[in-house]
Amino acid sequence: MSRFSPRVLPRVSLRAWLSYRAQLWLLLLPFLLGTLILILLPMVVTLLLGLTQYDLFSPPEWNNFANYINWLTDRLFQRALYNSLWFIVIAVPLRVAGALLLALALNRRGRGFGLARASVYVPAIVPEVAYAMVWLLILNPGYGIVNLGLQALGLPGVPWLTIPFTARASVVVMWLFQLGEGFILMLAALQILPPDVLECATVDGANRLQRFRHIILPLMLPALLLLTFRDVATSFQSVFLTGVITTQNGPYYTTYFLSHYVFDEAFGLFRYGYASATTSLIYIVTVAIVAGQWLAARRWNRLEDLD
Amino acid sequence: MKYTSRALRVLIGLALGATIMACAAPTPAPTSAPAPTNAPAPTTAAQDAALSGQVSFYINEGADEVEGFKDLVETFQQQHPGVTIHLVNIPNDDEFDQKVAALYAAKTPPDIININYRRFGQFAIKGVLQPVDEYLKHSKVMKAADFYPQALEAFRFQDKQYCIPQNISSLEVYYNKTLFEKAGVPLPKAGWTWDDFLSAAKALTQDTNGDGKVDQYGLGIAPVAIRLAPFIWAHGGDLVDNTDKPTKLTIDSPAAMEAFQWFVDLQVKHHVVPSKEDEATEADQSRFEHGTMGMYLNSRVETPELRETIQDSFEWDVAPMPSDKTTATILHSDGYCISKDSTNKDLAWAFTEFANGPAGQSELTKTGRTVPSMQSVATSNDFLVNPEPPANNKMYLDMIPNIRRVPVATTWLEVEGALNNEIQRAFYGDATVQEAVQAAIANTGEYFKQNLNDLNSQ
Amino acid sequence: MGSRLLRYLALSVLILVFWFPLLWMLSYSLRPIGLPPPTKPEFFAPPLAFENYWRVNDYMAITPLMVNSLRIAGIAVPLTLLTASWAGLAIAQLPRAARAFLLALSVALMLVPAVSTWVPRFIFFTNLGWVDTILPLLAPAVMGTSPFYVILFYVSFARIPSELYDAARLDGANALQVWYLVALPLARAAVIAVAVLSFAVYWSSYVEPFLYLQSEAHYTFPVAVRLLEQAHPSNFPVLMAASVIMVAPVILLFAFAQRYFLQGSDALAQFLGRGGDAFE
Repeated sequence: MSRFSPRVLPRVSLRAWLSYRAQLWLLLLPFLLGTLILILLPMVVTLLLGLTQYDLFSPPEWNNFANYINWLTDRLFQRALYNSLWFIVIAVPLRVAGALLLALALNRRGRGFGLARASVYVPAIVPEVAYAMVWLLILNPGYGIVNLGLQALGLPGVPWLTIPFTARASVVVMWLFQLGEGFILMLAALQILPPDVLECATVDGANRLQRFRHIILPLMLPALLLLTFRDVATSFQSVFLTGVITTQNGPYYTTYFLSHYVFDEAFGLFRYGYASATTSLIYIVTVAIVAGQWLAARRWNRLEDLD
Repeated sequence: MKYTSRALRVLIGLALGATIMACAAPTPAPTSAPAPTNAPAPTTAAQDAALSGQVSFYINEGADEVEGFKDLVETFQQQHPGVTIHLVNIPNDDEFDQKVAALYAAKTPPDIININYRRFGQFAIKGVLQPVDEYLKHSKVMKAADFYPQALEAFRFQDKQYCIPQNISSLEVYYNKTLFEKAGVPLPKAGWTWDDFLSAAKALTQDTNGDGKVDQYGLGIAPVAIRLAPFIWAHGGDLVDNTDKPTKLTIDSPAAMEAFQWFVDLQVKHHVVPSKEDEATEADQSRFEHGTMGMYLNSRVETPELRETIQDSFEWDVAPMPSDKTTATILHSDGYCISKDSTNKDLAWAFTEFANGPAGQSELTKTGRTVPSMQSVATSNDFLVNPEPPANNKMYLDMIPNIRRVPVATTWLEVEGALNNEIQRAFYGDATVQEAVQAAIANTGEYFKQNLNDLNSQ
Repeated sequence: MGSRLLRYLALSVLILVFWFPLLWMLSYSLRPIGLPPPTKPEFFAPPLAFENYWRVNDYMAITPLMVNSLRIAGIAVPLTLLTASWAGLAIAQLPRAARAFLLALSVALMLVPAVSTWVPRFIFFTNLGWVDTILPLLAPAVMGTSPFYVILFYVSFARIPSELYDAARLDGANALQVWYLVALPLARAAVIAVAVLSFAVYWSSYVEPFLYLQSEAHYTFPVAVRLLEQAHPSNFPVLMAASVIMVAPVILLFAFAQRYFLQGSDALAQFLGRGGDAFE
């Protein structure tokens, strides 16, 4: 008796009028439709609204490129843009490198390694609001544990969140702690490395650094690129609650990022057209960085092949 | 396998069932009925007996202050069975503005909003608020003359009365009487000067446990425009060139800059207010509530919370702002505004008449939250006499002639944002007063221009 | 022997470092409220104030908040599992050209910054009148919440030997039956991984509930905790207690599902192995 006879499930005779392939596309429908309505359409709308002035009370009015021209004189925007780009340039490489190094270090069997791997992932899964708040406490100048620890060692405490340099550094560190996501990706990529290639290299007398640079790294390039792309994209979002809760965008807007700017313009000042223009810029920055890295990787790959 | 497929079956059944439920029964908040009908001409006051229906009432209060409003709502509902007032509280200012704006945008406007005079301009300019001049003229419960003019006038915009003020609070000095007496400092009194103020603050700034670090501060002030303004005014300066049609900040006048410097010196020179680090460690209000701060500048709005948290741990009271060349304080006022597209404006007005008329104002002021905007209530014992602190309630009334306000502008909040940033920099010694003033004027120019544009395009 | 000790030491330090924020959260949440702030590092200040957890309820009504958050997650997670696994199966079973396109699309979608969806989606949902409902919050679940989950399912389904699929189809199964009776049962790791991950997403979500939920009765837990922090910025014991309550369900679920994650990462490895061809 076939497993699919009516006793198990009522036989849905879709097959009568839809081929298997059509059914598969039907299964894809929610995902595709959702993507269209929630991501692709918004993208188009954003690009269009960037050319308007829109406060949600009355219909949008075209103002051509006035929003973009306004960027030239908007100091707050320039600050936010600078901060976001700074963050991408500094924090993303650190996070990717950190994920890679940790994956290399923890990719082995043994007692404690499993627990260590799981522990690395923990900060990444903590709800953002709670995470930002506990760091507010940890970095509190008067009684945060970091300063208390420093003072116990006889060193002076540092007002982490009120000096521009350390405030930015704190934001970066908080994000680095959450590299668990990328760590899992790096682990996975390491696990598929063909072991015989690595063996060959050892036999040939290559030391660890050479093995890393010439064999492991190129083989892991797809994963590394993917992780870098993803981190660039999520870097915009990841600093939002940190800036709002932990540093209050201070001191003096040094931790004020593009995500805050978009949020404040749109939801605080009802300038949805202007915020859309900034959002369009976020798209462009993301695409530019991703494309740039892709091209750089291809060139590097081709150069490597020549060795 | 069998085990798994049963679990999976349950899961899938749940998912499908839940999805169907979610789609079939969206859960909107019960705001006023969706279809806007033609509103009747706003000339007749609603008849008490004929009141029915439902309105939404959005307020922007802290947790301890909400109770008073809840009581008002309940009393009104009891008096008018058939009426439901849906009270919504959104504690944070920016969030309040944003959520109210979202409601307007979705064409489901809140019927009544209780909003600060510094924030209503952005809504008035969008044309979503109902001017209430006519309602006020025909009301049997309240007249324009009943209110203190300073409060009423703050809610006028482009020659129309948009909201009815609920209170005429002002900036005052909360002080810890117990600490003053322990340190042998004379208590603040009416007409005390900047010098008295500063010496009190100095005397109360102490290192109480001898560890070399100050742990009791004499004063707590937030370095923001609405705290600095009264000091500028008291010294003879001005914040803007024209309160009704401001075109620029005038904080570069000699008088304003002297006042600014004096204000900044409180932190930079005399260290009577917490440093940037100490400010980040613990908030001023928390310090005052724990008895480690001698004086704390804020408006009446904090009174319910202070009553709640301080209880009997120490004695406290309020004092007027210290005087310099003149005496000045800054208006803090919230008002009841009705939405133009509200579907039950008569009911909304009727509730406003109750909650903000003599009856409601008396009730609300007993909670300590308000200095009533109606003269009859403010001069009554409901406000002046209260078993709980502060005792010196009369001070508020005495200060009313000295109240000044900031402009009502469509971009005023952005001006404040830019100005606050500079005040902060100067206050914590990250910029000189000269630099801060120049930067503030430079950065706010576009906002004033925008406001003028908005006003002219109406 | 010495190097083994060193290794254990290094591992212990690493584990402590990554657990540190949570441990500190827990430790400070048990600090009695009236106690003045610490002047030297102390991890536990007796008496342990378990009553802080009850005190949280004085500041914000925990039960309705939990119910609201759970309701959203309770609808969104099963919905995500449905739509993501459906999409994953379809991609796994479609012919090569379609599959390559869909995978590329998914990867590209993964790179869309969430920030860029705030404004247009808000405009969209506001014009629809869905303000103060949970519908905007559930909308991402219709598309599987994240293309990453779709890829995860794809990878897991693609590892199932094609003989099983073929046998089912020969028996006359349609796509739904294939999904339900062949694919899902053999991808338990992916199901659990996606369930836990998407639960974390919906449970922790702050921006969307903040934007779309108006009345206090509808607030979710993270929104309320943020409001609590604004109202009482220095009352850390209570704030930490509220945070622990918020964090606990996610951590517990994660601990339970942990080993399925590692299986999930095996599947991910396969995907990367295959995807590597695309980058040559």
